[in-house]
Amino acid sequence: MIDNGLLVQMLLGALLGLSVYLPLAAGQLSLATPAFYAVGGTLAALLSTRWSGLGATADGGFPVPSLLLELVLGGLLAGLLALLVGRLVLRLQGIYLAIATIALVEIVRVAILNLPFTGGAVGIFAIPQPFHDASGYLLPALALLALAGWICQRLEGMPLGRAMAAIRGDELAARCLGIDTTRVKLTAFVLSAVLAGSTGALAAHFLNTWNARQGSFDASITTLAFVVLGGSRTWLGPVMGGLLLTALPELLRPVGNVRLVLFGLVILLGPVLAPQGLITPALLERLGGWNPRGSAEGRQEAQP
Amino acid sequence: MSAPLLEVRDLSRRFGGLLAVDRVSFVVQPGEIFGLIGPNGAGKTTLFNLISGVTPPSSGAVLWRGEPITGQPPHRLNRLGLARTFQNLRLFDGLSVLENLLVTLQRQPRSSALAGLLGTAQHRRAERQRLDTAWQLLEELGLSALAERQAGTLAYGDRRRLEMARALATGPSLLLLDEPAAGLNPSEKDQLCQLIGDLRQRHQLTVMVIEHHVPLLMRLCDRMAVLDFGVRIALGTPDTVRQDPKVIEAYLGSGSGGGNTP
Repeated sequence: MIDNGLLVQMLLGALLGLSVYLPLAAGQLSLATPAFYAVGGTLAALLSTRWSGLGATADGGFPVPSLLLELVLGGLLAGLLALLVGRLVLRLQGIYLAIATIALVEIVRVAILNLPFTGGAVGIFAIPQPFHDASGYLLPALALLALAGWICQRLEGMPLGRAMAAIRGDELAARCLGIDTTRVKLTAFVLSAVLAGSTGALAAHFLNTWNARQGSFDASITTLAFVVLGGSRTWLGPVMGGLLLTALPELLRPVGNVRLVLFGLVILLGPVLAPQGLITPALLERLGGWNPRGSAEGRQEAQP
Repeated sequence: MSAPLLEVRDLSRRFGGLLAVDRVSFVVQPGEIFGLIGPNGAGKTTLFNLISGVTPPSSGAVLWRGEPITGQPPHRLNRLGLARTFQNLRLFDGLSVLENLLVTLQRQPRSSALAGLLGTAQHRRAERQRLDTAWQLLEELGLSALAERQAGTLAYGDRRRLEMARALATGPSLLLLDEPAAGLNPSEKDQLCQLIGDLRQRHQLTVMVIEHHVPLLMRLCDRMAVLDFGVRIALGTPDTVRQDPKVIEAYLGSGSGGGNTP
């Protein structure tokens, strides 16, 4: 059933779900997450295998501080790319933005496939391991998820998060109310990229090999499904979607070849049965006082 | 007399073959309520869009306290002190009434993103201040009982007032109201009239208002401009405008009694 390896994969799925959620919280349908994931992963794979300064040992070991450094660098590089690309693509809206970001995913994939130092179709393998087994990755993956979730939760009660919600609600109204929508959208896009980049860096070590297939159009759709199935109104939705949809194909393994059909059915029926996704603000409120938008701390005391 | 708050100079906007706004000029003085009337399709909303930066003008200039602001994006104009409402209400329907205001209270007081993430004392103080301002505005516009309701579920008149509250939350000097009385019943229209006057006093506002309901506008405004087919055909106090033959012909004909309709 669920072993540590699958648990780590589920956590990585949840992280990618959040990466899709962030631009969506500002009303931007970006499918670029796999591109940034690929950039972060490739950087980590290259650094750890080519640069001895990070301290990879002959028997394939790797110091944990170097892993953390790679998480930061992977996030930074992806964020930098998002900053450059975002200025251009975020002029587009709705489905046009989705298509432009799919193009970005393809460009990054083809680049990684053909660059002279990324190992072509085989990719980079024998990526050194900071931990003895998969369970070692649980802690960093959980910590990254906790950090991302915390940021998303805090955003709800601060100006940036509210500006994102406003743009999602009505972009023109937001502009006329003094919100610099270009800047807010770009910030959400960069945050999304940083998260995907760091996730990629962690995933590269966890998977042990890395190649261009890691960031593909398929992944764009899968990560989007995390958000659609989980629900895009609160950050818990994409987390739940990422956890479930990553686990499901593995849990269905015992039923044999039908499993992919069943998986497809879940993705198909999810939006039909729960159009808002599994986790909705209303559900969270019913579950007991969790304020899904966490806004207005102390609104009671301010109430006259 | 002090410099005009807003000056529109030879402003035009062409949409393909249609000249929606045709070399319109006027000034709006600080503190006045300035009306904009005209038949449907006369270019009133287009003019608002030009002034608020939503649509760039084809030619002409808009000046704010004597400085040219033509072509600036809406958010920058809003930060200068120009706020507007929309004819077909554009609330953030998914957010609560209170949140609709909090969204707008972004910059006063300022708090950094890092302070917000860490929930520092500075951030909490800023949040409390935002909440106070938001509650004050809700109180002022009679919306405080609805604070927790989703904006999308409000009754029409409440939605209109929420949109005004939201515009006021940006701390404007000039408030552009696009048909604020549309869809209101006569008693609500009277209340709105009263409210606009009160708000002008309390917030030291200058108000520009588009309105179809002529009696209401006549009562409310200090001065008004009349548009017809994109051209400003009259400008002045309600009394002058009421007696202008061109206005009577174009717009007031049937409504004002005594007009000679062609």
